Amino acid sequence: MSFAITTEGLVKVFRNRWSGKEVRAVDGISLQVERGATFGLLGPNGAGKTTFVKMLLSCAHPTAGRAMVFDRDSREPEARRPIGYLPENHRFPTYLTGESMLDFYGALSGMEAASRRKRIPELLAIVGLAEWGKVRLGKYSKGMLQRVGLAQALMHAPSLLVLDEPSDGVDPIGRRQIRDILHTLEQQGVTIFLNSHLLAEVELFCRDVAIIHRGRVALEGKVKDLTTGSGYRIEAEHVPERLEQELRQKAVAVAPRNGNVEFLFGSREAANQAVDQLRAEHCEIETVARTTSTLEDVFVRTINE
Amino acid sequence: MNSRSLLVTGALVRDTFREAFARKIFWGFFGCSTALILFFVFILKIDIVQGAIATVSLFGKSSRGEDVQRLVHQVHGAIAAFLFTAGMFLAVFASAGLIPSVFEPGRIELLLSKPVARHHILLGRYIGNVLVIAANIFYLVFAVWIIFGIKTGVWTYGFLWASVLTIFIFSVLLTVVVLIGVLWESAVVATMVTFGIMLVSPILAQKPLLERLLTSETSRNVVRAFYYALPKAFDVGRISRSLVLGEPVTSWMPLWSSAIFGVVVLAGGLYAFSKRNY
Repeated sequence: MSFAITTEGLVKVFRNRWSGKEVRAVDGISLQVERGATFGLLGPNGAGKTTFVKMLLSCAHPTAGRAMVFDRDSREPEARRPIGYLPENHRFPTYLTGESMLDFYGALSGMEAASRRKRIPELLAIVGLAEWGKVRLGKYSKGMLQRVGLAQALMHAPSLLVLDEPSDGVDPIGRRQIRDILHTLEQQGVTIFLNSHLLAEVELFCRDVAIIHRGRVALEGKVKDLTTGSGYRIEAEHVPERLEQELRQKAVAVAPRNGNVEFLFGSREAANQAVDQLRAEHCEIETVARTTSTLEDVFVRTINE
Repeated sequence: MNSRSLLVTGALVRDTFREAFARKIFWGFFGCSTALILFFVFILKIDIVQGAIATVSLFGKSSRGEDVQRLVHQVHGAIAAFLFTAGMFLAVFASAGLIPSVFEPGRIELLLSKPVARHHILLGRYIGNVLVIAANIFYLVFAVWIIFGIKTGVWTYGFLWASVLTIFIFSVLLTVVVLIGVLWESAVVATMVTFGIMLVSPILAQKPLLERLLTSETSRNVVRAFYYALPKAFDVGRISRSLVLGEPVTSWMPLWSSAIFGVVVLAGGLYAFSKRNY
């Protein structure tokens, strides 16, 4: 299996220059995002999502661990060539027009002038701003800036799209338009990594999701498995590594929880087998519960626990 | 440098020019330079009789004749002095924001997400900033040089060297803006520190006098340390004046020691930028 994103024990500690006080923004995140996946990164404010994304893009340097993009260390400039990025709270230079902005960022991505000239009108048309190319960005509304920002991220036809709150400030029609663009890209095999507060949006669009809380992965799995139909949650203590790996194959999601391990199973049979295996290994079972939930339920429960 | 590097550098330089245009920096300088050039074209009238100036007319008033060579040297010297003093202050003041603006949240992340090394981004911006100012200085100096050359027949190449030295000292001072901009991300702090260095330059240029006035050896050593460590804008101005007037340059030390300062400070800025989290 090849991965678009791989992180291993990624840690980021911010240290105050004067007081020496430390903040552990990211605390050992290990994640794998498959090529062609649509992956949603969720978490409450201050969970470490943005810091995690910034380390992927080398805007922030990891204190420990490493991040790989298509098997290249994210610190190498070349690792960023296949990435298209739309940051949250972006600030595009307002002296640029839509066209000159796309031209500038396209050139930084290594696109030749002829390719940029061809690509710019195409992209402006795709994001519904064909008539606005020659207008300064200072005149754009928030939703328009978001759409031209998406065009910027798509300029060099990236294989990995990292979007931080892409629908922020966009009206429902624009939001739908963005979702349609992302669906088209998904069909083309582009890996989409979405960092969003909008749970409904993630639930609608993403196939895989990770919930980050206090700098750690609190839950990870397929959205479909986490949210639809009934499932079974088993929390156990003292689970041997070998058994955890074995159960991981059968579980729809696995997450560490207060020193225990939580497994989510899609069927009663799978849950019963897991209970048998855990007991056979003398593991202490803390919880066995049935689950039926939306992504919001999953999110709230994960954060509250 | 490969073609992709050139492509990126070109984009960064173009972007700096666009920002300078938008901030009216470029046009402000261009307007001032054009006003001065027009002044020399239309207001200053020089009548030359057998290689010597018969009359110099300014706003319709005539003054006594001067030696052509001397007049040209005086005007060139005055412009060179203006560029080294007021011009330099204006250049630093006007362009100091072009470097820290890159570090604005929401803008820097986008730049860093591109497949470009951090030092390349900062150097591209630095080069763009130097070229914005260089374009204006060359425009003024070349135009004045050509006007006086045509009106008087005197072509003094030292004046052209003065423009090169002005750009050189600006590029050295801009390294301070780069370093402070990276560390504090503030155009105000960057401008203040750079102005401080410019203001202290004529004082430190009086090193021999200061050494005589100071009684303690420690104080003298402090003055020497500052003199040799900091860029010597004032002394480079003197070199420029000597070149304009066609006089011999007694020491090139201010030039190379300022260059060393610039290289060290720029390297410091690039290093700090490579280590920062955004």
